[in-house]
Amino acid sequence: MCIQVKLTPAVLELDLPEVEKRIRRFIKEYVENAKADGIVLGLSGGIDSGTVAALSSLSIGGAHVTGLMLPEKEIYNSKDIDDAKVVAEKFSLKTQVCDITPVLEGFYKTIPIFEEADKLCKGNIKARTRMIYLYYYANKLNKIVCGSSDKSETMMGYFTKWGDVAADISPLMDVYKTQVRKLAEHLGIPPELAAKPSTPALWPNQLAEKELGIKYETLDLILYGLERFMTTEEIAQQLSVKKPLIEKVKNRWLAVEHKRRLPLVPKVAYRTVGTDFRLPRHTY
Amino acid sequence: MKKKIKLALAQISSKRENKKENLQKIEEFTMKAEEQGADLVIFPELSLTGYVLHDQVYELAEVIPGPSTKRIEELAKKTGAHIIFGMPELSEKTKATIFNTAVFVGPTGLIGKFRKMYLPTHSVFEEKRYFRPGYQTAAFNTAIGNIGLFICYDIFFPEVCRLTRLKGAELIVCISASPAVRRGYFEILTAARALENTAFLAYVNLAGVEDGLQFWGGSRLVSPTGDLLAKAKYDEEDLVICEVDYSDMRPAETFIPLLRDLRPEFFDDLKKHSETL
Repeated sequence: MCIQVKLTPAVLELDLPEVEKRIRRFIKEYVENAKADGIVLGLSGGIDSGTVAALSSLSIGGAHVTGLMLPEKEIYNSKDIDDAKVVAEKFSLKTQVCDITPVLEGFYKTIPIFEEADKLCKGNIKARTRMIYLYYYANKLNKIVCGSSDKSETMMGYFTKWGDVAADISPLMDVYKTQVRKLAEHLGIPPELAAKPSTPALWPNQLAEKELGIKYETLDLILYGLERFMTTEEIAQQLSVKKPLIEKVKNRWLAVEHKRRLPLVPKVAYRTVGTDFRLPRHTY
Repeated sequence: MKKKIKLALAQISSKRENKKENLQKIEEFTMKAEEQGADLVIFPELSLTGYVLHDQVYELAEVIPGPSTKRIEELAKKTGAHIIFGMPELSEKTKATIFNTAVFVGPTGLIGKFRKMYLPTHSVFEEKRYFRPGYQTAAFNTAIGNIGLFICYDIFFPEVCRLTRLKGAELIVCISASPAVRRGYFEILTAARALENTAFLAYVNLAGVEDGLQFWGGSRLVSPTGDLLAKAKYDEEDLVICEVDYSDMRPAETFIPLLRDLRPEFFDDLKKHSETL
């Protein structure tokens, strides 16, 4: 592993065949150890889910991978469905479409304090509803849920707690978004799909870069610098970016650790879950 | 003492916490190696139990000699082979003090052991949380040569290998559980440790995946001039039979007389400056 501290796009370059090999081996061994019959994943038509679908199919064979398309009327986009189908066809995975609109409307109607104008709370219901569908299929078909979160959104906390991030494995969680795009192309995902703007699809016209207020090309370099213990001053200087922007990213990077962990537990006993209760994973 | 010996680099993937299954695998690999004439069969670090054990290490550790080493002794007796493997060792004087240990067994019984001296506790490693470090290097004069032992992260500290060599080791065995992102370091250091000590170096790494950690395999035998003599596959289990010809040491030492040129007068200074870093 090369430890570079000069923040140029070159530091984010990966040995793509090696990364592909490593992730495929990880997926295959996990599914085998879990004695599962395969993988269920959400297929949104976006780059992350397309890449995870490709890697899953290449690891265990498309016949063992179920891609769920979960459209709903508020953000229905036929282009996303078409893109999801392109990936499904190319990597020979099974797909199923479930329109989640009635379920979402059920939530909206039955939550006494529901507020239509609160986009975030409403959007999070969508992400968590998708999770319920994925886990239903996984339970029913003896499969595991494969998440598609990448490292950029994970480090920024740009996800719904117990929603899109909920999974049994997250093969892309150590790969930054700009790296995912290159990995996608390497795997044979069409370039126009690899370059498609990312969206969590929680409300209409939601775009990740717009919401985060930064392009992924810059964000990933900042996150790379923070990961390697660089100071905000060093990062700002090397990237010729104003320091407040780096600080904003760093503050968010620090503030969202609670979203990346199990719930905090007050220590009252001998060994405590999440702190000093450390057991290896046996069952998966 | 034999002038030439056959080594088996037994690069296995261990089943975590399953000593029974791992002992069976050690037996299978040793039998296969013995069929191919191996004098010494080397298994990876913590190959008896797997590497990522966390708190379960307290249940798995055994004293030496103990049930598992007895079983390996029987295997060595049966096959006539020498065997090196790794296991968590419980101190015979305490109830929960554990070492990360390499065990060396021969056809006539237990030859010796080495307790890992440098315990990585950074990045994904948490060895100091569980293990006590060893304080002794190890070189054993046997029928198959003077064999030295050390474990994985010890390779980053040249003094471990140097001391082992100065105690007489001609073949130095490093057993390891190294994850894939560190492959480059070990590929450099295995060659460097062999060359700077003009000794054979056999490196045997785990293969397989434990808790997302992927062990890269790539076990190897390096000559006293740092050349790669044999190499196992990356990532997968493998069994590689190779030969150590001790007569290669003399030309190596005459061509690069590194031990002749050692300057012990610097060692006190090294100690002094290490203490005041």
